[in-house]
Amino acid sequence: MNNDAFLPQIARIDAVRDETPDTKTFSLRFREPDEARAFRFLPGQFIELSVFGYGEAPFCLASSPTRSGMFETTIRRTGKLTDALHRLECGEEVGIRGPFGNGFDMEGARGKDLLFVAGGIGLPPLRSLIWNVLDERAGFRNVTILYSARTPADLVYKDELDEWARTSGVEFHMTVDRGAPGWSGNVGMVPVLFTKTALRPESTIAYVCGPPIMIKFVVQDLFMRGFREESVISTLERMMQCGIGKCNHCAIGHRYVCRDGPVFNFRQIRELVE
Amino acid sequence: MQPLVLTIAKRDIAQWVGALLESGKVIAPVRGPCGEAAFCRIESPEEPLWEFENPLAPPKQFLLPQTDPIVAIRRNGGVTTVAPIYDDAPRILLNVRPCDVRGIAFLTRMHEMEPADASYLRRRANFTLIALACHVPCRLGFCVCSDSGPFLSGGYDVQLTDLGERYLAETGSEKGEAAIGHASGLFRPASEEEVAQRQRLETVARGRFGDQTCHFASAMRRISTRRVDDALWEQMGDWCLECGGCNFICPTCYCFSVKDRGGDGRWTRCRMWDSCQYGAFTLEASGHNPRAQRGERMKRRFFHKVSAQYYVRDGATGCVGCGRCIKVCLGGTDMPAVVAAIRRRAWHEQ
Repeated sequence: MNNDAFLPQIARIDAVRDETPDTKTFSLRFREPDEARAFRFLPGQFIELSVFGYGEAPFCLASSPTRSGMFETTIRRTGKLTDALHRLECGEEVGIRGPFGNGFDMEGARGKDLLFVAGGIGLPPLRSLIWNVLDERAGFRNVTILYSARTPADLVYKDELDEWARTSGVEFHMTVDRGAPGWSGNVGMVPVLFTKTALRPESTIAYVCGPPIMIKFVVQDLFMRGFREESVISTLERMMQCGIGKCNHCAIGHRYVCRDGPVFNFRQIRELVE
Repeated sequence: MQPLVLTIAKRDIAQWVGALLESGKVIAPVRGPCGEAAFCRIESPEEPLWEFENPLAPPKQFLLPQTDPIVAIRRNGGVTTVAPIYDDAPRILLNVRPCDVRGIAFLTRMHEMEPADASYLRRRANFTLIALACHVPCRLGFCVCSDSGPFLSGGYDVQLTDLGERYLAETGSEKGEAAIGHASGLFRPASEEEVAQRQRLETVARGRFGDQTCHFASAMRRISTRRVDDALWEQMGDWCLECGGCNFICPTCYCFSVKDRGGDGRWTRCRMWDSCQYGAFTLEASGHNPRAQRGERMKRRFFHKVSAQYYVRDGATGCVGCGRCIKVCLGGTDMPAVVAAIRRRAWHEQ
């Protein structure tokens, strides 16, 4: 019997992109070609990323599984491990375990209208799903992306936001809580964007991801506008250490965010009781 | 396989322990420097205690060490290699009490759940458990309430019972037979009277549990259906000193964190005991903490141990009734006290 469950695979940093002053996107590729080929994941799943000497922490996969060979994760500098990670350069090695978690239900989304509502650093897990959807565009109906950040400087994937805005068959709106010189777009919290788009609660799955306070208000708004709990979906964040339902850091009641989640609909979230 | 039922004279015990010492590392309760009993690796056959109060620290530290190396990490010239670390040394745990045997069974079940945890299971596979039944129940134990003692009906490799001049030895596995086989000349088949004496001792021992009880059933009903007021958890949480002692001395607690130890390109990734009662247990790097309050954390601990949801998953309550939390908790929020408070819907007067 071996201990693969705790044994990381080695990946190299292919590229590092600055997103905001404190957020970077890392493109990673497994050192062993066999491991790179065998790595399959779903949007919404996560990895445990090791910065050796600092330990490991969970991060969502931010790239689409439709673009194989490499994968990306977008990480804000917020503690010791992420600080060390931000100091790494191209060619340096990190450890990867996973993918873990359930991921988004792609089959359940086919043929539906999709509404993505993201706030700040909540966009990365949805970006994986968005690119997956756009790469298989014919399988889905209307695609609407609403994105907000505190300031224009806090918007991530700025090039891609422009691309989504230009893509036919995608309705894209964004807003910032507080404007800045040079910003001519919307100002205000993300619900202001609901008035700019035609919501179709009966046929739409809404994916909401962002800071807890933003999720709270967006979800209340969606329910008021006729969305059902089952069709509003989010990913939960917990301090997931092992990724395999053993260490108990992410337990809510007898459920484990790392195994039963991190993707839940709001009916399931309501039933998760501490 | 028919279990063997044998006896060995007390004067021959040291000779048997000597034979065990030749077959692997032997861990047994010994007299510590302050007179207390403690599980420790022994070097000589005279060291093990045969009459003792069950040590405050259970033997789980030998199966699930407080700092348990699981992955060796080396970096040389920018190239990283990782290798799993296993511990396959044969070990014999001698004079382990029934509650602790049940605790080990609980830990093993949890580690067998998919994905199975090889580092624990390989170590466990090389353990031989020689249990010593409690013909005189300990002062604070309530093992009768969780079917974990004072005698075992299974789960041991050998179970010993003190018959006065001799020990009765029942085997429960091939490993148990092998442990006796190291000195088979010292054992002889038990007589009918000796077997009957063992049964009498068990009956008497079970009858000696008086007020040391812990009524899990009604607490389980209320915890599982979330019918314990948050105010009660908060009130009990006020008495928690966040020392983590209850977790560390609990035979069934296994929550852990993973940390890298070392430096300069040589690290050991370690699994380390953690405590669900610590404020930082659920603290995220962002500063968000879903269980920031002590009452919420106490609710978590008892949900994990006593809820029907976990009972269904684990096939047992997460309590073997050893009574150690009663000794260790300075705030008095031990298992029987909390279960009693849930039943009467009130904590004690402050």
